Amino acid sequence: MRFARWARGFDRSTGRTAVLAALAIAVAAMGIPPARAAAARTLNVRDEGKLRFITSDGSELIDEGDAAGTLPGNLRAYFVYNGEPTVSARFTIEGHSGSISGKAKARLSNPNSSEPSFRGAFSITGASGRYAHARGSGELFGVFIRRGEHKYWLTVQAIGKITY
Amino acid sequence: MSRAQILTIALALCACITGSASAAQSVSISTVFTPLRLGAPTTVSLGFQISAPAGQVPSPLTGVDFHYPSNLGIATSGLGVASCAVAELEAHGASACPPNSQMGSGNAFVEIPVGGEIDTEKGNIALVAGPSQNGYIRLLVAATGFSPVAARVVMPSLLEAGDLKLTVPLVESLPGAPYLSVVRVQVTLGGNLTYYERRHGKLVPYRPKSVVLPKTCPRGGFRFSATFSFLDGTQAEPRRTVACPRGRR
Repeated sequence: MRFARWARGFDRSTGRTAVLAALAIAVAAMGIPPARAAAARTLNVRDEGKLRFITSDGSELIDEGDAAGTLPGNLRAYFVYNGEPTVSARFTIEGHSGSISGKAKARLSNPNSSEPSFRGAFSITGASGRYAHARGSGELFGVFIRRGEHKYWLTVQAIGKITY
Repeated sequence: MSRAQILTIALALCACITGSASAAQSVSISTVFTPLRLGAPTTVSLGFQISAPAGQVPSPLTGVDFHYPSNLGIATSGLGVASCAVAELEAHGASACPPNSQMGSGNAFVEIPVGGEIDTEKGNIALVAGPSQNGYIRLLVAATGFSPVAARVVMPSLLEAGDLKLTVPLVESLPGAPYLSVVRVQVTLGGNLTYYERRHGKLVPYRPKSVVLPKTCPRGGFRFSATFSFLDGTQAEPRRTVACPRGRR
């Protein structure tokens, strides 16, 4: 009864302060770092690029071009295709506010054609500038085009989410 | 003669038979890049020679499992951008296939034992892209001979990373006569090929992009090896290394 009266008379702001202080002490005691001042932002990404052939190194093609979409910039891709149906790639997008690097694995279909297509997944492996500490993943679609002497390029589309 | 002596002689005979069976034929392989320039487009020439003791014909070849460096740019080349149906190739030869499915050519020599003598026949080989299977590039190897034995065999194979397996069918020279024995094969991937692209509604010829060599040479060179299987149950595993160009590794 005495406790109930004390509780009813307890000032609300004093109570909040006390609770927060208690939580801070508890968190500190558990060794959990305090939350960062800026909240993480999540972007739904949808980017496309038509990448022209630059050079090749055995089974690796190096292509480059403009990426358009949520994260525009210059896209450079290192695409490895050694005859297995699974192809892999590393890529970097250099934009105004920073760069994002990632890797991808995809399954290629219809290899005995002038436009084999591939579909798979990508993940972010590193970033700089505004996107430093970015992480994320998504789906990757593309076509490896080799229709003629100077018609040799990659088209790619990436759809996913990144948090930075 | 005691039992022990008979057993010793029998064991010695067995050892001799096993030794001569495994030494029935020897195989060597050859590989040439033209040009041998790292990072540059090249044609890849592959060959093998099967030798039997003098006066004998090698046992018929039944299979080849060929290993090559997996980072050779075969899949990323511009070769084999159309496919040819196996039935079409079998019935009419490589000339009936789309030009953009042609990947290379070569020749083969076979030996035919006829009446105590050995006859030799030269045939043509065509390397053609076939319909892909489970996402793998399908390479069709068509061998055609005309005289004295007229025959065409098509050997489908899948091009895996660094591996190409071929099952070689047995071909009778005459009904009831011994099978043909392959003794030498030379094929070139890429080379003098003409493809066609559509430009403004017209078909325009072009040279397809060749196989590109890696920009760095593996330590010790580009290693090739193969396992040859013969009808007599023996196998041979020759190896070959293409040395790195001078001053490059």
